[in-house]
Amino acid sequence: MTGKYNLLEEYIRDGDVDGCKAEALKLVGGGTSPLDIFSESIEPTLADIGDKFSRLEIFLPEMMESADAVKAIQEVLQPFLEADESLKSKKGRVIICTISGDLHDVGKNIVKAMLEVNRFDVKDLGVDIAPAAAIAAAKEFDADIIAFSALMLPSLPYVQDAIDFVKQNDELKDRFKILVGGGPVSEKWARKAGADGYGDDAMDAVQQALALMGTGQ
Amino acid sequence: MKHTTRLLDIINRSLTGPVMEEEAFNKQVTKGIRRVVKEYDIVVDKEHLVNLDDDLADRVFEAAIDFLAECGVYNQSAGRVILHSRGEIQRILNDASPEVLLGEGTDAVLERYRTVADSRPPLNMGSPIGSPIAEDLFVPVMMSYIQEPLVDVTCAASLITVQGQDIRTASPLEIMAAWAEVDLMKLALQRAGRPGMAWTGVIMSMSDRGQLSAVNPAGLRSTDMHTFGIVSELKTNFDILNKLTHSIRMGGIVDPYANPIYGGLGGGIEGQSVLIAAAMIALNVVFMATCCGSSPTHPFHFNDTGKELLQASSVAFQALARNCHLMTNLTITPVGGPGTKTLLYETVAFTIMSTVSGCSRILGPRSATGAVAGHFSGLEARFSGEVMHAAAKLNREQSEEIVQRAYACYSDQLDQQPYGQPFQEVYDLKTLQPTKEWLAIYDEVRNEVLNWGLPLA
Repeated sequence: MTGKYNLLEEYIRDGDVDGCKAEALKLVGGGTSPLDIFSESIEPTLADIGDKFSRLEIFLPEMMESADAVKAIQEVLQPFLEADESLKSKKGRVIICTISGDLHDVGKNIVKAMLEVNRFDVKDLGVDIAPAAAIAAAKEFDADIIAFSALMLPSLPYVQDAIDFVKQNDELKDRFKILVGGGPVSEKWARKAGADGYGDDAMDAVQQALALMGTGQ
Repeated sequence: MKHTTRLLDIINRSLTGPVMEEEAFNKQVTKGIRRVVKEYDIVVDKEHLVNLDDDLADRVFEAAIDFLAECGVYNQSAGRVILHSRGEIQRILNDASPEVLLGEGTDAVLERYRTVADSRPPLNMGSPIGSPIAEDLFVPVMMSYIQEPLVDVTCAASLITVQGQDIRTASPLEIMAAWAEVDLMKLALQRAGRPGMAWTGVIMSMSDRGQLSAVNPAGLRSTDMHTFGIVSELKTNFDILNKLTHSIRMGGIVDPYANPIYGGLGGGIEGQSVLIAAAMIALNVVFMATCCGSSPTHPFHFNDTGKELLQASSVAFQALARNCHLMTNLTITPVGGPGTKTLLYETVAFTIMSTVSGCSRILGPRSATGAVAGHFSGLEARFSGEVMHAAAKLNREQSEEIVQRAYACYSDQLDQQPYGQPFQEVYDLKTLQPTKEWLAIYDEVRNEVLNWGLPLA
């Protein structure tokens, strides 16, 4: 890794939005292409941040702030792109929510942040989301994956509803992959319910999402 | 009337407090915790598992009150923040009851505020604490806890189904499940010969329907604990406030819990210790708790027996025990399940830490993280009760030594999911006694910790 990105990477790790924007503009002004900034610096830095969180060497707030800082870089570099270029992630688009009847959001927020630092485009619907609302949002967002979090056993039937809704609909069954996770969810339950993927924890959820997009390691 | 007056005040604050979006509140939690950790110089000793620093505990308490007064509790239903000033928080804490009678008749027990290294043992709420169980095993499993002489009060497991149907939040099935749980608990208490033992339950009732239907003189009584969880971190909603309102009207023992997530909005050990202490204070100030409980949770292993959570919990609960007279409780949530030595070592470490840190009641063990159906048994609650009584004879330095030895025996298992065996494989279902194999493991670990200097009877 070249030293020219050191300052940018420091600002990303610190979640310093203003520093990130200024340094990104400086790099572009110096002749570095936006796409190179992303591939040579931002993506490896975010991957390292995700790894550090998986070992709890950093925590959720730091990870969320880094993800916000990268979004700010994305916005500030947008005008410098050629017509056919995009800084938007090629990894995939994800709708995430906690299902009906369940108000837990920290676990879902951890998965969301981990997906973001792994360069997925994520739309978070929040908690206590009805299956139909999640699917409507997935259509609007043009999602690849709908990720459901369920922390309580009695909320699992609603996840099953969502899976049935997608898998029993000819228009939707090949359009969306369903990823599930949370305390009472097991791989066995997910398989039986017809989900496409099951994340045992936040790191596993990312690996599953990559696999569903055909980019798994 | 005092309670109704306070209740109306809380409801009013929840409807008139400052408006805020939930994401902004999350950021306010993180920002506030970071501020007080810095301002109060909160630095936890990373070597010790039991806090030995009184000054640190006192600073954590001050930091928690400062943080809570600034941050408040978020009402998701109204999008508003429930605020109390530092003076109001202190006045309400000063007014908290230091003791409460739990249960009825000869089965009743007195829960009392305990201080750090108090020589009186805490109460043992021997229970799987809402862990999932099949309908046909509910009564024998719960009897395996209730029949233990060292179990003082209990909490129901959670039914997976009701009359064979999956339970669904906020549906009629949630109400049917709540009533089935009440009926089966009464049967278990009667059959074990302790009908007046205080219990709590309906843990899986996320909406208010189940709890509201089960809390009445024919269900969960006024002499039982009425339990509900708040949403992490520091959030409530009308379902939760409805549960509180009904329990106050029924004259029940309000016994809620808050489970801050390690590595979440509070960050690392220091922030987590402040957040735990603040959440317990909030339970009393905002949710009118008679007893305030927690099972701080690891984000990947879903337990609370790891090093960081032992350290954060110890500081937080000593902070509370040294600076107010709240009755507090912690839930032992190990990764180990029945039939494993890991479960028993985790029970030793967490129970000693909780006992010496001033908890008035210890819950569990919620074996196998409480997520694996039927992987829990009464024997581990017998063991935790024995450890509580022995640990009450220890000072913090002695406790630290034994907790370290126990921790060394299971630290490499925390990410291995050693969930053990289900109840029906470690207990004889006819006699409701542990199998020879499970008893042999218990005896082996018991002898081992005796040799470490834990004065088990």
